Amino acid sequence: MVEILVFFIGASLLLYVVLGGSDFGAGIIELLPAGPLRDAQKEVINRAMGPVWEANHMWLILVVVILFTGFPAIFTTVMIALHGPMLALLVGIIVRGVAFSFRHYDAVQEERTQRIYTWLFGLSSLWTSLWLGIIAASLNRGIIDPTARDFWAAYVAPWWGLYPLSVGVLVTCIYAFLAAIYLVGETKDPVLHRRFLRLAIVFNVLVILAGGLVFLASLGEQQSLAVAFARRPLNMAVMALATLLFVVLWFLVTKRRSLLARVVAAGQMALIPFGWYLLYAPDAVLTASGPLSFQDAAAPPATLRLLIIALVVGSLFIFPSLFYLLRVFKLRGTLPGRGS
Amino acid sequence: MDDLLAARATMAFSLGFHIVFASIGMTMPFMMCAAHWRYLRKKDPVYLELTKMWMKGVAILFAVGAVSGTVLAFELGLLWPGFMKHAGAIIGMPFSWEGTAFFLEAIAIGLFLYGWNRMHPWVHWGTGLLVGVSGFASGIFVVAANAWMNAPAGFDWVDGAALNVDPVAAMFNRAWLPQSLHMQIAALQAVGLAVAGIHAWLLLRGKAPDLNRKALRIAMVFGATASLLQPFAGHFAGTRVAELQPAKMAAIEGLFETRSRAPLTLGGLPDPETRTMKWGVEVPGMLSFLAHGDPAAEVIGLDRFPREDWPPVLITHVAFQIMVGIGTLLAIVGVLWFWFARRGEGPRWYLWTLVACAPLGMVAIEAGWVVTEVGRQPWIIQGIMRTKDAVTPVPGMVYHFYLFLVLYLALAAATTWLLLRQIRTVQKKFGG
Repeated sequence: MVEILVFFIGASLLLYVVLGGSDFGAGIIELLPAGPLRDAQKEVINRAMGPVWEANHMWLILVVVILFTGFPAIFTTVMIALHGPMLALLVGIIVRGVAFSFRHYDAVQEERTQRIYTWLFGLSSLWTSLWLGIIAASLNRGIIDPTARDFWAAYVAPWWGLYPLSVGVLVTCIYAFLAAIYLVGETKDPVLHRRFLRLAIVFNVLVILAGGLVFLASLGEQQSLAVAFARRPLNMAVMALATLLFVVLWFLVTKRRSLLARVVAAGQMALIPFGWYLLYAPDAVLTASGPLSFQDAAAPPATLRLLIIALVVGSLFIFPSLFYLLRVFKLRGTLPGRGS
Repeated sequence: MDDLLAARATMAFSLGFHIVFASIGMTMPFMMCAAHWRYLRKKDPVYLELTKMWMKGVAILFAVGAVSGTVLAFELGLLWPGFMKHAGAIIGMPFSWEGTAFFLEAIAIGLFLYGWNRMHPWVHWGTGLLVGVSGFASGIFVVAANAWMNAPAGFDWVDGAALNVDPVAAMFNRAWLPQSLHMQIAALQAVGLAVAGIHAWLLLRGKAPDLNRKALRIAMVFGATASLLQPFAGHFAGTRVAELQPAKMAAIEGLFETRSRAPLTLGGLPDPETRTMKWGVEVPGMLSFLAHGDPAAEVIGLDRFPREDWPPVLITHVAFQIMVGIGTLLAIVGVLWFWFARRGEGPRWYLWTLVACAPLGMVAIEAGWVVTEVGRQPWIIQGIMRTKDAVTPVPGMVYHFYLFLVLYLALAAATTWLLLRQIRTVQKKFGG
């Protein structure tokens, strides 16, 4: 039963990275200078992200709910040790959640306020994705120490350092890359199309560089990634596959197969957290006093059983409606539409 | 402010903030659907305009409700890890259903907001209804989880650990039905009357009379009906509190001594030091009658509980008086509506009354939550776990509180400003 729930956590996290990631990335892209293209770019992003905006964020809530119901010990350990980063994350989530909606629904669309919304949306997207990476990296450093009494050791050391920061940068680059690839297929305007294509190339390079930075930064950790990878060859294969997919991806982009390119990019970016999880599986959190596995932290079987039922029944409702949402807005022309 | 108080203040503030937006998010879609339905049936463009106006309000308020709800999910762990360590597995079930309903709501709102002219009009209308239905369901699930803190069930507490966990019994605890009934009706009531008050004010100012009259009528169908039902739901909730949480009931009524023929005290300020009630008006035997259906029945007072197990009596009592006072007033306003509604929307003084009552429903909701939460203190799980044993060990919680105070006040200001801009724009379009 634990495995089924871990699968749901993993699937929700991957969908959050892949679907939510592109709207984080859209905010980051809007921070970059766009000159005269600024308004057109904003329109494309509003149109592309608006319908799926709220749904994209539900994956994160789902992860939180599964964790505190099914694995309360993991939830509380993380929420105590990483209180600071979680708070930072929440501030970002609040600001970007409202900035995006306010920008679209402000009854008076004037230059000055629109700029403030855009700026807030962009900055909070950058900020939030940075902290998401920091939090993810902090889970497996072996520094989280529930018995520590010293403030620094208990609440700062777990997330402090070059390695978590480098993972934050990697996440930011991944998000911006996903957004650029996604937006390439969202516009028919040749100038804007070229801009998103250029951004995709830039962020592709940055993802690779940031990945290298993560490897280097991990040398200062208790266990460097190089050692961890060498220990589990399957991960090498996953990472190699992720890298190889770049070739496929760019072939598709040049052939203008935007939908397929999205799928490949999403799959590729999903392989990175997947490979990362495989490095540490079945442990969820590595604390100073040893690993905390999903199995150790699991709630009583009655709870797990009911949680799985809720998730399966919920999926029966959520996936068809999500598919319908994507069909209405993302696969235009295939729908026998009515009206104008 | 010590860490415990700061954590409690943060939770109170986050919940008090979220509850406003959650109430709107789970009830306003129904009003929007009613207007939309009328448009689809009658093809009257005014109803279309009204639907879109309310829709934009829903979109803005939903966004705020969604982020403040996300914050709360995290805060359960950030503020109360000692609670969640045990409670997560027991009451996770309503939370997982709530998550599902919330997810559906988010998908439906995307479909409704952006789906104009993209799907069959009635399918589109259905997505709007789904926003309301799933939002309403998620409200019930969350309140069921809260009810469990008042009426813990579905586990055995042995040496500081929960054994024999039964999540179904936990979810359907003794308080879930009265509490969620009371809350859901309160949301319909508060939001219906708030919306009606805004449109009554615009009507009085002579703006867009046709639009505002139609809006007022739809909003009042919800607001007035709920106002009439609420006293019954409230009474149901009250008798259940008397049964399950006698200390809370005693604090609510400022009843220091256990007695039969207990009087109901209207107003008044209880003083826990001298164990007396100052300046209240007593209705003899009424409390015994309301709590147990018999004017001679014995009602348990605070004297049956050790002093350290008393909830803050003054706050609980005053908050309850505010809630019931407003509830009574709104019930009268509701009755009057059904009298006036047969001929237009009533005289000007009634419209002014509606304007004055606009914020009262929300005030009553806040007061009601103070009664529920403060009245349960010092327990976080009634009779099982004290709030001080549930709080996070992280020091400096006061900064966490200040951060959210500033953030939420700014957000409240921005949202209000945005809604005012919205209202002004629509009214300008209709002239007047």
